[in-house]
Amino acid sequence: MPQHLKRLIGVFAVFIILFLILHYLLTPSSFGELGHYRAKAIPENAFKELHYAGSEQCSKCHEDIRKDKAIGFHAKLKCEVCHGPGLKHALYAGQFKAGQLPDSLLLYKPAERKDCAICHQFNAARLKIQFDTINTSMIHQINAIEHNPFDKITKVEFKCIECHNPHQP
Amino acid sequence: MRPAKPKVSRRDFFKAGTIIVGGIAVASAFTPYDAVLIAAEKPKKGKWYGIGIDINKCIGCGKCASACKLENNVPKAPFYFRSWVEQYTIKNDGTIIVESPNGGIDGFKQSVPTNEIFKSFFVPKMCNHCAKSPCVQVCPVGATFETPEGIVLVDENYCIGCRYCVQACPYGCRYIHPDKGTVDKCTLCIHRLVKGLQPACFEICPTEARIFGDLNDPESKLNYFLKNHTCMVIKPHLNTGSKLFYNALSSEVR
Repeated sequence: MPQHLKRLIGVFAVFIILFLILHYLLTPSSFGELGHYRAKAIPENAFKELHYAGSEQCSKCHEDIRKDKAIGFHAKLKCEVCHGPGLKHALYAGQFKAGQLPDSLLLYKPAERKDCAICHQFNAARLKIQFDTINTSMIHQINAIEHNPFDKITKVEFKCIECHNPHQP
Repeated sequence: MRPAKPKVSRRDFFKAGTIIVGGIAVASAFTPYDAVLIAAEKPKKGKWYGIGIDINKCIGCGKCASACKLENNVPKAPFYFRSWVEQYTIKNDGTIIVESPNGGIDGFKQSVPTNEIFKSFFVPKMCNHCAKSPCVQVCPVGATFETPEGIVLVDENYCIGCRYCVQACPYGCRYIHPDKGTVDKCTLCIHRLVKGLQPACFEICPTEARIFGDLNDPESKLNYFLKNHTCMVIKPHLNTGSKLFYNALSSEVR
């Protein structure tokens, strides 16, 4: 074998060995266990902070409201749809007396007109809503600007919840 | 004058050719060619998550979009979304208007007068968790992948932020997180799934327009929904193996 080929083979061998060492050192331990990715990335993704508790948690303390809600139009509505994420509230509110909750544990109480209008404002895309054949109903739609906006005498803006009970509309 | 005799005789050429072609044919019978173009079959065992969305039931309240942001700490700026709602309006003259003000979180305002509207509907959008996702195929470092349960995830510690997957996703479901510099997307709330809870957007949908379930479980809510409705995926011609099925999907939706 000519001299220059021998040298070339030597150089190639050095590079290949170097590549294998680097490849071994730089590949994470769980890479390739399940596929072309780090298998440990699945538990890393799976352990993150939760915010929404689920409606079963709410009825543990607020059973009265669940009963109220169960016979109204909003029976299927989960509490957190309107009140926002409540896992912290569900976990820690039990330690405090009623009315003494710190602000960080208080949930949002939607009272403004815009809160109700987010679902009930008239929109053409909401017209043809037809639920299951068993429960055929349409969502109640209003024009939030025209629907009883002011008290005619005092000119104070009406809130929806002054006439409608949101738990039993 | 006859041409010079070729170095390889005709007999030898056919011999070698038959061995090579026949060898490939025999070998492929043992390990069939797994082209990326062919959508993967769902695994026979274990969970295989899928999503159903009933467009007829969606009232466009945008609660799914806001719940997603709150649950997963998605940046509040109006161009980072893992889940969002679009309103499609088809006018009488055939023009199509697509709106999604802040992903639908603040509610929708009807921008076209009612007498000009032929039809209008809301389309909630999110990651399709494709079985053969284009975003996974283009990742140069293996930082995005499909779990054995059919969830497409991102490995934040491994992502180099090259943005290939953002371009590859035909549904526009990925974005670069402004603080981390890595790509971010819907995880199907895997942190809730491991605790036995539903993903946040399914949990709070007020009209139950979103159905979440296991495609491998014949008793699941999702399979019931798929059996009882005429469902379709978005962009079926791309053969992404999408697992997000819409009921009453119009051809205008892209």
